[in-house]
Amino acid sequence: MGLKPATNPDVEAVRIELSIDGKSVTAQDGVSLYDVISMTGKIIPAMCYHYTFDPFGSCGMCLVMQEGKKAPVRSCTAKAAAGMVIRTEGEDLFLARKKAVEKHLSVHPLDCPVCDADGHCELQDMAFQHGVTNLASAKQKFIPEDTRSPVLDFNMNRCIACAECINVCKDVLMIDALQFMKKGGFNQVVAKGDLALDCEFCGDCLAVCPVGAITNKFSKYLYKPWQMKTTTTTCNYCGDGCQLHLETKDEEVVRVTSPLSWKNKWGDRSETAKGHGGLCVRGRFGFENLDSKSRLTQPLVREGGQLVQKPWLDTMDLLVGRFTEIKRQYGADAIAGLVTARCTNEELYLFQKLMRTVFGTNQLDSSARYGHMNFVLASKHAVGLGRTPNDWEDLTKAKAIILIGSNITETNPLTAVRIKEAMRVYKAQVVTLDSAITNIAKLASHPFLIKPGTEGAVIDGLVRATIDQDLVDEEAVGKHPHAFEALKNAVADVSLERLAAQTGLSVEAFREIAAIFAESTRSIILCAEGIVRRTNGYQNVLKLMDLAWITGKLGRTGCGVNTVTEEPNEQGAVDMGVAPEFFPGQARFDDPAARDRFARAWEAPLPPTGSSAHLVEILKRCKSGQIKALYVLGENPLATLPASMEVRAGLERLELLVVQDPFLTDTAKMAHCVLPACTYAEKDGTFTNLEGRVLRVRQAMDPLGESLPDWHIMTALANAMGCRWEYQSPNDIQAEIMKLLPGYYNLGQPRKVLPVPDQYLSAGYEAEVKARYRPTPLSGERTRPFALLMGQVLMHSGKLSTQASGLITIAPNTGKLRMNIQDMERLGLHDGVKVRLISDRGSLQLGVQPDQSIAPGTCFFPEHFNEPPVKDLMTVSVDATTGVPSFKQIWVSIEQV
Amino acid sequence: MSVVALTKKILQAALFYEIWDAMKVTFRHMLHRPMTFQYPREQRTIPDAHRGALGLLRYDDGHERCVGCDLCEAACPSHCIKVISAEDTTRPLQRYASEFYIDITKCVFCGYCVEACPVNALAMTKMYEYSTHDKRSLLFDKKRLYDIGERHLDDGKKYLYAHNQEKNVEQSREYRYYFPQSVQKSTQPPPKHLS
Repeated sequence: MGLKPATNPDVEAVRIELSIDGKSVTAQDGVSLYDVISMTGKIIPAMCYHYTFDPFGSCGMCLVMQEGKKAPVRSCTAKAAAGMVIRTEGEDLFLARKKAVEKHLSVHPLDCPVCDADGHCELQDMAFQHGVTNLASAKQKFIPEDTRSPVLDFNMNRCIACAECINVCKDVLMIDALQFMKKGGFNQVVAKGDLALDCEFCGDCLAVCPVGAITNKFSKYLYKPWQMKTTTTTCNYCGDGCQLHLETKDEEVVRVTSPLSWKNKWGDRSETAKGHGGLCVRGRFGFENLDSKSRLTQPLVREGGQLVQKPWLDTMDLLVGRFTEIKRQYGADAIAGLVTARCTNEELYLFQKLMRTVFGTNQLDSSARYGHMNFVLASKHAVGLGRTPNDWEDLTKAKAIILIGSNITETNPLTAVRIKEAMRVYKAQVVTLDSAITNIAKLASHPFLIKPGTEGAVIDGLVRATIDQDLVDEEAVGKHPHAFEALKNAVADVSLERLAAQTGLSVEAFREIAAIFAESTRSIILCAEGIVRRTNGYQNVLKLMDLAWITGKLGRTGCGVNTVTEEPNEQGAVDMGVAPEFFPGQARFDDPAARDRFARAWEAPLPPTGSSAHLVEILKRCKSGQIKALYVLGENPLATLPASMEVRAGLERLELLVVQDPFLTDTAKMAHCVLPACTYAEKDGTFTNLEGRVLRVRQAMDPLGESLPDWHIMTALANAMGCRWEYQSPNDIQAEIMKLLPGYYNLGQPRKVLPVPDQYLSAGYEAEVKARYRPTPLSGERTRPFALLMGQVLMHSGKLSTQASGLITIAPNTGKLRMNIQDMERLGLHDGVKVRLISDRGSLQLGVQPDQSIAPGTCFFPEHFNEPPVKDLMTVSVDATTGVPSFKQIWVSIEQV
Repeated sequence: MSVVALTKKILQAALFYEIWDAMKVTFRHMLHRPMTFQYPREQRTIPDAHRGALGLLRYDDGHERCVGCDLCEAACPSHCIKVISAEDTTRPLQRYASEFYIDITKCVFCGYCVEACPVNALAMTKMYEYSTHDKRSLLFDKKRLYDIGERHLDDGKKYLYAHNQEKNVEQSREYRYYFPQSVQKSTQPPPKHLS
């Protein structure tokens, strides 16, 4: 059926009138009759219907009587037409529906007591509602359960063949991993080709299954729905900020469910543009770290080379004493702090307040520095907006999307679903430019494979091609003729032929992409790790801004340059001022007005602007001995940064290393003092997702052992250091943030801001654009045959997910280098063969494995694992403007051993 | 006061009338058979429908009946039952209660849990003597409940029979759940009553 005109932004739907139960109803033409009836508030039972995909019509429950027809019709597959007279209630319809339920039940095993769906089962509800108590001829199917997949069990005895799982997989997620197969006389749902299910394991099939035919292995038989407490909270794996229901029993998390389920099947396509409520594998199955045995439950203090458990009181006493002494002896600049963007906004705010007012230092940074800062600073510089201008709805309804340097189905699966919806429902043209064969590229209309590390060069080419083909928007460039002249001059030396050779794209491709982007009414650029986490990230984002500006896409609704974030609250970390450049609200730290405002609000003197330091600088100062005490909150620089950063040496020189984390991380193992923190399931707060939406995080269970929420520890520390912080709960912190940043929470919705580049283009643009398009020798000029890339895989997020045993079961650390199969054949390698991987930084031995998503000439190792320590082969280049360390790509050679 | 009344009063006082009147009941009962019985030495016969301590039953082949469905916990009005279920790894796809607690001090002996049980794993027995000095021992765990069930198996079955829940041993088999096999395991023939 495709797109319902009612929700197509480009098509005005025709209004029709029909009569439902004697009432005249106006509806849009082309909509399913079932949708029209449910819009009037009447709910007819339907087991195979879900609004996220097209009606399937197999359950036979949504029967209605249409005037002029003898038998009842299925309302889901019937189209609403003008003049229809419909009756939805009546004894005859009730009996017809009852018959349908009996038909399903007659081949149902009726093993409700053991079934995991018991109490949350549509068939059960329907049997109850229709009073089915006796079955004339019941038989069982006796189909063996399919337990081959590592995540989901398929018990086809319970299946009612509603095909919701198949439809959601095919239509909504476009993965198409399930199918019907006739086996043993019954139509059964099996994985494609009747193999063991091996898909993205998002579990949306599990969510929409109205019976217990698909069950989750990690919580199988462990619960009944009524035993559990459900808490709606925000996922803390990536920046998508999906809402999820944590279902807990006392101190353990039993399972995670999504807002998407067979229970909320009534809706409209325009709602799915804001998200269909599903989750990804990380959100749904990565919950086992929350109540894991490896959680820290007691403060640890180093005594004679060993970390020994100590009570909180002693630990805090020791800590306050050491901090006070270091501050007295060496001054405030001997203290620095690092925080992870997995903390809530309130905690991030408190952290920077602690560092700036209590310790009096501006040496603080968050994990947004690993990439997101490149985008924030560039975007703030160009258009004055330090976040993405577009939300999911804009992305879904875009006409053209350029995805550059992004393996979005792996890093941000739910944002990827929005792009898939744009392709499938709204027929968007999607251009993918990446050096890997990504899943989104397989679906995109214009997939392009580029050579690794040439993302910047591709943008040069696109800008040049746009100007060459005269695709510029006269109105946009007409306002700033000098700036446009400067840009033209800057790209005059750019040769498309040379870039074509360098990037692997053809000259025609450059022209085609530029044309698609410029000619669409709503065009969006989405740049991710391939831009912001690589060298020249800042400049590359600005180049994308140039491209958007000259095509007139800056400042137009539904258009813009966007990014995605890896950690849940990277945007929040920037907004809360956990960066040496920013105060909360992204006010410049060196802006006198802002300094004055915050100094008055906090009633404390602020550290001078001179001694600010970001992540790389902090680590440098640790090594030089300038910083004596480091407060690390959830961060793990030792396991993240390559050995060439000499993080270990830096940390070893410290007089006091305090790590506050739920787990004993590599950095924590070196600490003098480890404080047990809570996970997101044990505290309240908010996350700011990549759209800028502020989302609630709610407490689902009591803190494990003696662990405490981060805000609690920080408040205690500040009070022990002589401050008077009177925060009793995250609400009190929120109240303070609301006072300082009016409108930040804004009921969770970011205020729509149209980015305006006028200021940037009229002042100083000419000077800076000149250097931007200079054909710089590529970072790490190709010295060795292979490009080693490190990045994220779908099943993992940072190092946190490696603590979740479920995700480790699905995607364990193979310890192998992933290579393209052709390269492996060329080198005479096969799966598991040991090779020596040599970079300029050193070499190590590891096995290889073939991977379809790896392009020829590249090899890949997931950044989540340090076993073997592939990251130590990387060199680090630090961006001159933003201080972002980039270390995800290097040239290597591979030798068989 | 009239003369008659005064005379009657004096006469009654002289003959100890009130005492004889009161002793009338006593003397009458000396000729009756005693109504009470001497409790610890003598025990009353208890009807089959009696709601006593709860016990968990096993099938004749020794398998636990309970499938850990938690319906008893849901039905319990005094919230004294707690079931923790798990997958039985020794048998294909069988769910069972890995832990089962009944806080008998909270139990109101309504028998709803027995009624709710789809597999007749719970039954009430005629056991009522479990007073103790240690209140903690009144939190019956799974082992204790199976012990009670084993010791009072006949009582439990009679209870179910009296409450129309289980007719006889042959019929009780129909309550038993049979599970589809996993792919790796050999196929189990369907149970007799269903084939």
